[in-house]
Amino acid sequence: MSYYNEYILVVEDDIKIRNYICYSLQAEGFRYITASTGQGALKTLVSEPIDLLLLDLGLPDIDGMEIIRKVREWSEMPVIVVSARDQDKEKAAALDLGADDYLTKPFSSTELLARIRVALRHFYKQGGNKTPAIIQVGGLRIDFEKRLVYLDDKELHVTPLEYKLLSLFFKNVGKVLTTKYILKEIWGIDYSSDTQVLRALMAGLRRKIEKNPAKPRYIVTEVGVGYRLVDE
Amino acid sequence: MGEVNNNQVIDGGHQNRNWKDTLYCLFIMMVLLISATVISFVFRIVDFPETNIVLVYMLAVLLTARITYGYIFGFLACVIATGAFNFFFAEPYLAFSVEASNYIITFVVMTITALITSTLTSYGKQKTLEANRKEAETKALYTLTHRLSGAADMDDIASIAISTISDIIGTQAACLCFDENGMPMRTFLQQVSPEKQIRLDYTDTTDIKSQIQMINSDYIKGVEFYDWPVYGSETILGIIRIPKERAATMNESQTRLLKTMIESIALAMDRCWSMNHRIRTNEEIMRERCRGNMLRAISHDLRTPLSGIIGTAEMLMDMTQRNDACYGLAEDIYKEALWLHSLVENILNLTRLQDGKLVISKEMEAVEEVVGSAVGHILHRYPEREITVRVPDEFLMVPMDAKLIEQVLINLLENAVKHTLPEQEISVLVTEDKQNNCVVFSVADRGEGIDPVDLPHVFQMFYTSSLKHADSHHGIGLGLTICEAIIKAHGGSIEARNRPDGQGAMIIFKLPMEMNQNELL
Repeated sequence: MSYYNEYILVVEDDIKIRNYICYSLQAEGFRYITASTGQGALKTLVSEPIDLLLLDLGLPDIDGMEIIRKVREWSEMPVIVVSARDQDKEKAAALDLGADDYLTKPFSSTELLARIRVALRHFYKQGGNKTPAIIQVGGLRIDFEKRLVYLDDKELHVTPLEYKLLSLFFKNVGKVLTTKYILKEIWGIDYSSDTQVLRALMAGLRRKIEKNPAKPRYIVTEVGVGYRLVDE
Repeated sequence: MGEVNNNQVIDGGHQNRNWKDTLYCLFIMMVLLISATVISFVFRIVDFPETNIVLVYMLAVLLTARITYGYIFGFLACVIATGAFNFFFAEPYLAFSVEASNYIITFVVMTITALITSTLTSYGKQKTLEANRKEAETKALYTLTHRLSGAADMDDIASIAISTISDIIGTQAACLCFDENGMPMRTFLQQVSPEKQIRLDYTDTTDIKSQIQMINSDYIKGVEFYDWPVYGSETILGIIRIPKERAATMNESQTRLLKTMIESIALAMDRCWSMNHRIRTNEEIMRERCRGNMLRAISHDLRTPLSGIIGTAEMLMDMTQRNDACYGLAEDIYKEALWLHSLVENILNLTRLQDGKLVISKEMEAVEEVVGSAVGHILHRYPEREITVRVPDEFLMVPMDAKLIEQVLINLLENAVKHTLPEQEISVLVTEDKQNNCVVFSVADRGEGIDPVDLPHVFQMFYTSSLKHADSHHGIGLGLTICEAIIKAHGGSIEARNRPDGQGAMIIFKLPMEMNQNELL
């Protein structure tokens, strides 16, 4: 009895957490297969038609980063990494390597499933190559054809750079974007060390779209990692 | 020589010994001059020329200058010898008058020759004595330093010090050591004979410490002893006690020598003191590290199963209806496990902070983002709560480790949530303090506030309010400790107080706006 056709590979060495993840997936109707080591994961990835990879960063044999790098050599499949709370650096690095999202232990099954759905949606959008002309998130709407932004049905004046930033977020609703990634997408070159430019731009944008920039409704900060446009 | 003490008596400077010495010198001089006179009489009987008699007197003067101390006896001998020659051997005999003028020349030449020889002899002797004393001093100091370098602890040093000082000064010196807190010990060590040292109770009731601070000379005059403080680089380390009778009669060179010895004792004690200090600090660090490691190991091992428990409990909740008794039970498990998990995380954070393993990597961060993220975190966990947030309108960048400051804010907000009812207001306020060039964060609530008794202790590790109900999880007193550690590591300050504008508590922390010079490098 499956509601989804996707086949998920769960790579987690801790049996209890693996069981928990599997149970959540099963309850939701996902098909899944498990691996407890990096080697096993790589083998499964090659032999099975995997649609999404759920990867624990702290594996006993291979560094999780290595697996992401290998997967990205031949596949664009969504990768969600699972990490402990004190692995922020690894988290950001994993995202920069091409992981789509991350979960911090302990996470709820709701969170897990929501992330999986967001990741899958993005994957299909990319496959369908056309993003819709208009995307609405809460009271915020972007019109890609007219290059206009509306807040609560009123046109919002944004600078070209702010528009570029906003459209980047709208193309990745619900997905965390690392600072490094955003810098590269907006400014083109590797600005990775100069995050202040982005922070200033973000502050300006927030003052336009958020009621209280320190209590953002749309673009939230993931400290140490990046930003996310929340879709709720 | 008067009193000979082993081989190392440095000069004789005693009052009554001086007097004895004078008598002794006079005696020697008289004996020599009388002998010379007797020999001269024999010469005259056997009819030797008078020149020989002059030479015999000269010899007597020379010997007097050689044997006695100082110039005075040589000079005296020279005058007496001339007089005696005149009286006994120059015609007319047994009278001081002189007939032949050639005798006058003899007298003058004799006196001058005798004077010069005696002066030279005395001078040479003086020099030798001085050199001997210097050598003995150097040797004494060398012996002391050499012996001190092998000393293992303070008692050892004290024992070596007093035996050497007693030996050199010729007294029964004693030493009182001070403990690590700079307080005098209860007992002191005294040399009672060259082989024996005894420990005596230190019964002096006067406050030695304040006396030492007051003195403007090198020593304190006590009832039994004169006390010479031994100063280390940081504090006073001990006192060298010289018995009063001896100390009062010490001459300048002895005092100088004693001071030099005390300096080298101070060096040795200082070395020993700082070594002890270092060892103790190391031990403390090791112990602390051990404890930290153990805590971390345990916490680390707890974390993973806790994640499992939390997840499983959550699933059980999902699988049961809300009105089912099982749902409530599962929810209890879930909540307890969640609490335990945050406790474990706190311990991990704290041990990492204390170890210095948590490297603070400061970067310019937007204040509103960090505050927003922390508030978002809390709102996600407690969706029913309302948090008022106010940050300056202008965009503020502050150097900080964003993840850690976020943790501080989360801890403070969590505390606020725990100590207030859902309808009571919680607020986060950020202002810029341009005067002090810092940013002020305050997390305030409208709860019951902090008991004044607890106020000074809230940042202490494992401190929890005594007023709390036994059954409630109000934390284990780590959250604020972690906050304090993080803020301090940022060069900021944190304080807790009750709101001046009515009921409620507030925690205020400040972060400097600029990085330190050395952080920029």
